[in-house]
Amino acid sequence: MAHFEIKDLTFSYPAAGEKKALDQVNITIEHGQYVTVCGQSGSGKTTLLKQLKSVLAPHGKKSGEILFEGTRLEEVNLRTQSSKIGYVMQNPDSQIVTDKVWHELAFGLESLGMDQKTMRLRVAEMASYFGIQDWFHRNVTELSGGQKQLLNLASIMAMQPSVLILDEPTSQLDPIAAADFLNTIRKINRELRTTIIITEHRLEDIFYASDKVIVMEEGRVIADEEPGKIGAFLKKENRRMFAAMPSPVQIFYGVNGTGNCPLTVREGGAWLSRYFAGKTPEYTTVEDKITIDPDDVQKPAVLMKEVWFRYEKNGKDVLKGTTIQVPENTLFAIVGGNGTGKSTSLKIICNICKPYRGHVYIHGQRVDKIKGDRLFKQNVALLPQDPLSLFVKKTVREDLEEMCDRNLSEEKVREIAKLCEIEEILEQHPYDLSGGEQQRAALAKILLTEPKILLLDEPTKGLDNFFKIQFGKIMKRLKQQGATIIMVSHDVEFCAKYADLVSMFFDGGIITTNTANRFFAQNSFYTTAANRMSRHVFENAVTNEDVIQLCQKNQ
Amino acid sequence: MGFESYHPMINFLYFAAAIICAIWFNHPVFAAIAWLCAFVFSVKRNGIRMLVGNICLLAAAFIYSGWYSYYHHFGVTKLRVNFIGNAITLEAVLYGLQRGITVITVVMIMSCVFSVVSSDKVVYLFGRISPKLSLFFSILLRSIPKIKVRAEKIRLARAGIGKDISRGNIWKRIVNLTAVFSILITWISEEWIENSASMKSRGYSLKGRTAFSIYRFDNRDRFVVLLLFFCYTTIIMAAALDQTHIYYSPEIIWNHMTFMSGFFYGAYALFLMLPVILELYGTWKHHKAAKEGVE
Repeated sequence: MAHFEIKDLTFSYPAAGEKKALDQVNITIEHGQYVTVCGQSGSGKTTLLKQLKSVLAPHGKKSGEILFEGTRLEEVNLRTQSSKIGYVMQNPDSQIVTDKVWHELAFGLESLGMDQKTMRLRVAEMASYFGIQDWFHRNVTELSGGQKQLLNLASIMAMQPSVLILDEPTSQLDPIAAADFLNTIRKINRELRTTIIITEHRLEDIFYASDKVIVMEEGRVIADEEPGKIGAFLKKENRRMFAAMPSPVQIFYGVNGTGNCPLTVREGGAWLSRYFAGKTPEYTTVEDKITIDPDDVQKPAVLMKEVWFRYEKNGKDVLKGTTIQVPENTLFAIVGGNGTGKSTSLKIICNICKPYRGHVYIHGQRVDKIKGDRLFKQNVALLPQDPLSLFVKKTVREDLEEMCDRNLSEEKVREIAKLCEIEEILEQHPYDLSGGEQQRAALAKILLTEPKILLLDEPTKGLDNFFKIQFGKIMKRLKQQGATIIMVSHDVEFCAKYADLVSMFFDGGIITTNTANRFFAQNSFYTTAANRMSRHVFENAVTNEDVIQLCQKNQ
Repeated sequence: MGFESYHPMINFLYFAAAIICAIWFNHPVFAAIAWLCAFVFSVKRNGIRMLVGNICLLAAAFIYSGWYSYYHHFGVTKLRVNFIGNAITLEAVLYGLQRGITVITVVMIMSCVFSVVSSDKVVYLFGRISPKLSLFFSILLRSIPKIKVRAEKIRLARAGIGKDISRGNIWKRIVNLTAVFSILITWISEEWIENSASMKSRGYSLKGRTAFSIYRFDNRDRFVVLLLFFCYTTIIMAAALDQTHIYYSPEIIWNHMTFMSGFFYGAYALFLMLPVILELYGTWKHHKAAKEGVE
């Protein structure tokens, strides 16, 4: 008997009229399978997952049926559904209900009305399995994002579900925490035989481990295959989803490779070796996109000179003599681990945080000497990590109009909306937008201050690949208009593709700065998948396009 | 080892009774015992810094007594006359002092309550009444810091686009502050939707919720309960025999001190000093065990 059987499921939201959020979906999921659901934002992934648990299913018009272990889902009672179907959501913070780790772990068990003895055992078991015992008594506010999401997972696993549904569980985590989390999911699947149904943007970490991959497009299932065959299908049909495939897959089909499609960096590297078997490639380097000497910048747009900063008087130094030189009209990316002071440096550049030693200069002028509104009018603007913090009004248009003078607002808003590709969503409520749309709307909002220097704090967090490509294009357009962009990011692939200069931030300072190609080519861990899989053949190929280009050149 | 390592029920039984007695009894000997014990306990719990605080509190009690007697003139024992011709009486001074001492005793006990009773213990105690109640308390404890963090994030986000709440003229500041507030409200309601989805998804709406406890009631706790109830009985006896109250107005009248009075005083002191005794005993035992372990 299949674990989940979805038959002819069609669903539409009440407000959407004829538009179907799910259209004739047929899926069978067996016990113990690891199923990845992928698709563009708005393709119906989340809607589909929510249908699999009655309490979460949104209201709307629905036809077709869902069978859970052979019974119609509506007939499976709440108690069984609560414990047997585990659901992990996107945002680690908003899922946690109670103030203490131990209480959160026990929350589901309390709901099920278990007695003290059973609860104690289950909680102890989960805390040990997930390595939570060290922070068992902590306040949840003290946990990192990764720990919070792990806690959410553990508190669901304590109810011993037979299926675990995860809706982009790592979109708010940094890459290291995300990889840890996904490894834990794989471990659960492997060791406990829990069925996993997961959606993710970062396919690199889960694609190869899946038993099958379901690709959705506009509410329909367009592919339901094992991972090795997905790439071929998407390439043949020339679907947009191909752009979201892991690097090895994209490169393999980019050069029309033969044999089995590689899914991991290891397989990709082996395939590339076979590709060049018996011959040495003639061309092994790509040209740098720009030629700037990062250590000798004439007239920097932003100059941070030996800046020291700490948040509290007796606290630790967050920045320890940090020096940053940002050349004019470049996209300058700062990468590095969590809590190293990356975001803090952005706040220092726009004078929200004030250093206790050292100065910041913008176009040669000291920021703390720039009086009144002049710093934020046609000068500097900061896009915060979470765009929701910016929206005040009922519609995106009103929100944008808040930023400019009354008489010339309409023209300006139209212009910026076009640049950020948000013309179609101007009349919507900012909270109703998808993550990528929110990010672009927020960008539009800060662009209305006409900044010459744009500070972005993890702009691609939680976005899918299409939005990233779109976002990258907008960045290029802004640069053409003369803007200087400083971006803090964990997204190595995005930086490799769009940044001119990349800096490594560590322990309160910049360790090294170089052009994107040189920077990533010299790293062996902190670099792109394309680089890791091609480094034994090519010298400085860091993006998929680089590798494909070099392969073709050597043909 | 400390009093906080005992079961929350014990903590509750002790502190509730200690505070009730301190407020209820107006007999100077009882008040003095309560003050002294609270003094020792609070210094034991909160360290030497409390010593200074407690002395300041005592000074405040005396000042209160002076102020009280300056405005209240009941009693028969005139000490002197103030400049508008009202008598200052011994009864009023003593009554004021007793009231002042009561207040500072409660303050000192409260300082111990804060160091002994963690939020986990409150959640547990609520859970004994109703699991839902304890959950709500826990949600509250979770929400408040979360909202604070969010408010700060929003403030910073607004500051990053030049709409800082500490920039510009008063009018602009008010407008910017209102915006922060408005964003916060929208965010809270949005957050609540997701939060309740997560609760529902884990069976929140099922009937028959229980409350998980991280505490165990062991033999040590049982022994302390016996001790506590012995003290309670004795103290209630004292109250029943009118040993715990005196009259201040119009003149000071009290029951004679007998041998039994001494017994009552002893029981009251034992009760109030119980946590200190337990803590000292625990430290000594640990010390001894550690020493034996080394040898």
